[in-house]
Amino acid sequence: MDNTPILSASNLGHAYGSIVALHGVDFDLPPGRIGLVGANGAGKTTLIKILLGILRPTTGSVTALGFDATKDMLDVRSRIGYMPESDCLPLDVTASEFIVYAAGLAGLPRNAARQRSSDVLTLVGLEEERFRPLGGFSTGMKQRTKLAQAIVHDPELVFLDEPTAGLDPEGREEMLELISRLGGFGINVLVSSHVLGDIERTCDRVLMLDGGRVLRSGPLSHLVDADVVSVDVLGDVSAVVEHLTAAGATVETTGTRLLVSSSDDDPFRLVRDALVSTGNGMRSLGPKATTLEDVFLEGSGT
Amino acid sequence: MTERGVVFDLGYTPHEGERRGRRGAIATMYRDGLYRVFGIHRRARKKILPWLLVVFAVLPAVAFVGFAFLLSTFAPDAESPFGSHADYFGLTGAIVLLFVALAAPELLIPDRREGVLAIYSSRPLTPDNYVGARAASLLTVIAGFTLIPQALMYVGFAALSSDGFFKALGANASEIPRILAATLVFGLAYAPLALLVSTIANRKAAATGIYLGIMLIGSALAAALVEATNLPGRRYAALLSLAEHPEYVTSWIFGGTGSGDLVVASTGLDPWVSLVAMLVIAVGSSLLVAWRYRRIM
Repeated sequence: MDNTPILSASNLGHAYGSIVALHGVDFDLPPGRIGLVGANGAGKTTLIKILLGILRPTTGSVTALGFDATKDMLDVRSRIGYMPESDCLPLDVTASEFIVYAAGLAGLPRNAARQRSSDVLTLVGLEEERFRPLGGFSTGMKQRTKLAQAIVHDPELVFLDEPTAGLDPEGREEMLELISRLGGFGINVLVSSHVLGDIERTCDRVLMLDGGRVLRSGPLSHLVDADVVSVDVLGDVSAVVEHLTAAGATVETTGTRLLVSSSDDDPFRLVRDALVSTGNGMRSLGPKATTLEDVFLEGSGT
Repeated sequence: MTERGVVFDLGYTPHEGERRGRRGAIATMYRDGLYRVFGIHRRARKKILPWLLVVFAVLPAVAFVGFAFLLSTFAPDAESPFGSHADYFGLTGAIVLLFVALAAPELLIPDRREGVLAIYSSRPLTPDNYVGARAASLLTVIAGFTLIPQALMYVGFAALSSDGFFKALGANASEIPRILAATLVFGLAYAPLALLVSTIANRKAAATGIYLGIMLIGSALAAALVEATNLPGRRYAALLSLAEHPEYVTSWIFGGTGSGDLVVASTGLDPWVSLVAMLVIAVGSSLLVAWRYRRIM
């Protein structure tokens, strides 16, 4: 698989007057499904607008699919799709007409636009409603229409800005399922969301922003699968802790529950040895369940 | 033996055909503009007014040709009382003005109010391309409104000519560049200002009202300033009569001097002054529209 970065930034910055939205942002993101996470005001939307060529960076440079997002804006836009967070659908046309229009705006010839419109509306589950005016659509149907217009021209990369905003639990599940399938179609995805659970469900890599700076960036598995073991001890907890510490492990104690990590050894093996040596038992043992939220809160110092 | 059916899951099919880039995007935007102003692919009520205005614009030309036919049949020696190409521009001018007042807001305001600009910002289009495509749609509609009845009259009168169809066409060929020039004049006089008003107003009805107000109240204001004041250079106040400029300049193009009913003509200002005023407003309006969309797209 070609791991040439699809998105890169070097010392990227942007300011709205005196308000700095992005500051010294650097990243190289390989193909795949990338989560762009951060609190409101972290700079997510500003970054997407710079990638689309709507905003110009104040400092640094940024490339998308190998093109300079500022100088080669039209080349970038020919290859990407964008699902905005805000309302963006004309209310007096049918879903079918609008998606054909969206495909034409991306440069597809009329016949191809009609064919793709039909295919994509079926893909997002709107084949039955395609001849209904968009003004009568529910929030979930509108979100699916927005996704359809973002992928109707078969882009190499699609930006999804808060794709589950306003959806009920069922609609959210359907949307996350659709996003998860995009990778299989050869479409790279950048999902911007402050719902970290959505990112964990759909992405394999994360770019975390906080206050306009990169907080963390990397594969999701590296961020959330911390090499920490959680064990609930039955018996003399202090004896187990003493043994683990003597073996070079770092131990965090909460009642009978211990969080054990070690830079030199396998923490599972250290826990097993400590329990056997001290003659204690355990109620449960497993890797610490670290969520993206834990990583974010830890990184942002909240 | 019964053959077993096979179900193929075609799944997602990538597009490997042609991509027309910016050229295709602009063409799509232009076509959408035409659909919008005529209510095509929209609900029935959006079609009524534009098509009614089309009928009003074309019907007199059909009637002129019809009466000319009757006249040529029953009184071949009688002189035709029907209007010239120049006169017809005066007749359709008000209909074109009303259509532009309705069409320009339809072209620009829903895109902003419904947030569709966000999607255009992800397509291979610049703000100038967007404004240009919308303006081209509006100018095409204006050209259609003025040229179709003119073409009907040109061909119809030639068909009824006692000199023969082709000879009559050739004899009147000098009218064609004048008709095209007059069409351009109406486009420049009406479209840019209507687009500017639609760029500022947030509701279609408000934009239509403001635009018609500027065009029509301007004439009354100009007449009042010219006639009721003794200010030096007051005749230049006639330039505020924006709706009259195209009619005055068109009359000039066809070799006339303009009706005395026109405020701008009654002050003795030359038609080229009207033309310059019109061009200044057209260029200024176009630049303001482009500037505004470069900021919001």
